[in-house]
Amino acid sequence: MTSLLKIENLSAKAGGKEVLKGLSLTLNAGEVHAIMGPNGSGKSTLSYVLAGRPGYEITGGKVEFMGHDLFAMAPEERARAGMFLGFQYPVEIPGVNNVYLLKAAVNAKRKATGQPEVDAYEFLQLVRAKMKLMQMDESFLSRGVNEGFSGGEKKRNEILQMLVLEPALAVLDETDSGLDIDALKVVARGVNSLRSAERGVLLITHYQRLLDHIVPDHVHVLARGRIARSGGKELAHELERRGYDWVLEVA
Amino acid sequence: MIALPTQRDENWRYANLRPLAKASVEAVAQRDPPAVELPPPLAGFERWVFVDGRLSSGVPAGAVARLLDARTAGAAFAAQLDDSIASAGVDFALARINAARGDEVLHLALPDSASASVEVLFIATAPGASGTSYPRLQVHAARGARLHLVERHLGTQGADSAVNAAVDLALAADAMVQHARVQHAGDSAACFDTLVAHVGERACYKLQTVMLGGLASRSTLFIQLAGRAARCELTAAAVANGIQTHDVFAEIEHAAPDTVTRELFRGIATERGKLAFNGKIIVRENAHESDSEQSLKSLLTGSGAEAAARPQLEIYTDRVRAAHGATTGKLDDQMLFYLLSRGIERPTAQGLLQWAFIEDAVSRVTPAALREVIERAVVKRLSDVASLDGLLVSP
Repeated sequence: MTSLLKIENLSAKAGGKEVLKGLSLTLNAGEVHAIMGPNGSGKSTLSYVLAGRPGYEITGGKVEFMGHDLFAMAPEERARAGMFLGFQYPVEIPGVNNVYLLKAAVNAKRKATGQPEVDAYEFLQLVRAKMKLMQMDESFLSRGVNEGFSGGEKKRNEILQMLVLEPALAVLDETDSGLDIDALKVVARGVNSLRSAERGVLLITHYQRLLDHIVPDHVHVLARGRIARSGGKELAHELERRGYDWVLEVA
Repeated sequence: MIALPTQRDENWRYANLRPLAKASVEAVAQRDPPAVELPPPLAGFERWVFVDGRLSSGVPAGAVARLLDARTAGAAFAAQLDDSIASAGVDFALARINAARGDEVLHLALPDSASASVEVLFIATAPGASGTSYPRLQVHAARGARLHLVERHLGTQGADSAVNAAVDLALAADAMVQHARVQHAGDSAACFDTLVAHVGERACYKLQTVMLGGLASRSTLFIQLAGRAARCELTAAAVANGIQTHDVFAEIEHAAPDTVTRELFRGIATERGKLAFNGKIIVRENAHESDSEQSLKSLLTGSGAEAAARPQLEIYTDRVRAAHGATTGKLDDQMLFYLLSRGIERPTAQGLLQWAFIEDAVSRVTPAALREVIERAVVKRLSDVASLDGLLVSP
C-alpha cells in the first residue's frame, strides 16, 4: 500500500502555544480516516498545518505527502500536488466569481503537470454536473466566492470545489458543523462520490453523526495535541456513548 | 501671473506638483499634429480628438459639439463661477491658468430634451519643456437633455507632457449627464484637471473617473447640487504603481433640499505609489433632507506605498443623512490563503484580490466597450494579463 500522508511525531505551535505535541498518523491511498476530538484538542491546527496556513510554527517531526517533504512545499504547491483543505469557515471573497476561482484552480493544477488549459465549454458542463450532485443552483456560479452564502451553502461550495479539483487527499475540517440533516446527506454524498482506491480523505469532526454517512476505515481521537486512541468505525460510536472524557481519562 | 498651489496649501498636501511646475507654462505651440495611434471608436459616439490641447481631427459631420476660440468662451467659463467657486482661491488656480493660456474650447450645448453621445480624446505628445496642454470642455445640458460623455486623456509613452485640463458642466432641470473620464496618459506625464459641475433641479450627474497613467495626477472636482433633488453619483478608481501619485480633491456641495450624493473611491497603491482622495461634502443650511454616502477605500500592496483617504463633512443643518466610511488596508491574509490553498499561484491570487477590490469602482463605467478597455488596462497594472485572462469574461 502507498501512503498518501505520513505524519511522524508532529509538533506545532499556534500563537506561541504548543498545540500539536508529537502527533503520528499514516493514511494510505483508498482510506478514509476520521479524526475526532474535543474542542481545543488541535483538530483545526492539524488541518491548517497540513494546508500550509501562515501563523503556525512547526517545532518538531515531519510530514510526507505522496513521498514529498510537505513542509518544503508552499500552500499552492501542496494544492497542485493533490491536497485539498475543506475549510471549517470558508472565506468570502466578493468580486472574485465562483466559476472563475474554480477555473483558475483547475488550470493552475494542469499547468503544473504540463497539461493545456481546460476547454471552457467542457469545464462548464463538468461544473454543472457536480453542482447538480451538490444540489446547488446555477446562480452560484456567477456569484462572488462564498459571498452572502449561508453556512450550509458555503460547505456545499467547499465540496463542489473538491469534486472539481479531484484531489488525491481531501482534508475536511468540520465540514459537518452547522449543517442540517438534509445538507449533511448532500455533503456526504459528494464526499463518497470521490472515494476511490487512489484517494484518501481525512475527516475532521467533532460529532459522530457525519460518520454514519461517510463511513471511515479508521477513527482517531485527538486529545491534548496527539492521537490518544485509534480504532475502527466502532470507536466513533463508543465515543458518542461515553464522551471525550473517557478518552482523556485513559490518555 | 497666477501662482500654482503648493503642498503647503491645505487641499494640496498629497499632490505632486513638481512635474507640472517644471514644464513651460506656455501653451504648446501650434504645429502640424504628430501622427498618433487612436483607440478604436466607440459605437454611436461623436468623436473629437485633440492633440496637445488643439483640435487634430476634423469636425465630425453633423456634430453636436462645436469648437470655440478661448477668448469667446472665456465669459461662459467664468459664468460658472458661483460664490463657492470664486472663494475656492488657490484650489481654482489651475483652472484660471487654463482659461488664461488655452486657445481652444470644445463647447457642447444640448437643447431641451435632446440626447447625445460624445467622446473627446485629449492626447498629450509634446515634452513639458515645450509647453503645457490646456484641454477645455464646456457642457450645457438644457432641461431634460441627456448626455453620455466620454473624456479620455492619453499620451505618448515616455513623454513628460504637462496637461492642465478644465471642464465645466451645467445641468438644467431634469438633465442627465453620464460622464466617463479616463486618465491613461503616458507614465511620465503630469495630468492636472479642474472640473466644475452645476446640477439643477432633479438633474443627475454621474461621474466615473479612472486614473491609471501619468507620473503625477491630480483631479480637483467642485460639484454643486444647486436645485432641489439634484443628484451626484461619483465613482473614482485609481491605481498608483512605481512612483506614481494620484490625488483627488472632490468637493460636493448640497445647496438645495432633497439632494443626494453617492461617492465611492477604490484605490490601489503598489510599490512606492501614492494615493490620496479627499472627499469633502458640504451641506448648506437650506439643504434639509439631503442624503450623502461616502465609501472611500484604499489598498496598499507595497512596503513604500501610501494612501490617504479623507472623508470630510461640513453640515449646517439638521435633518440630513450623511454616511461615510474610509479604510486603508493590506490584502486580506485569509482571502489570500484561501486562494493559495486552491493551487492558484501567488501573483495570480494577489492580482485577483486586487481586482476584486477595485472592481466595484470600475464595473459602473459605461459604455461597455469602454469599460472593457479600462478593465484590461487595470488588470495589466495589477498583474500579468495572461494569468488573469478570463477574469473579465462574465459567465
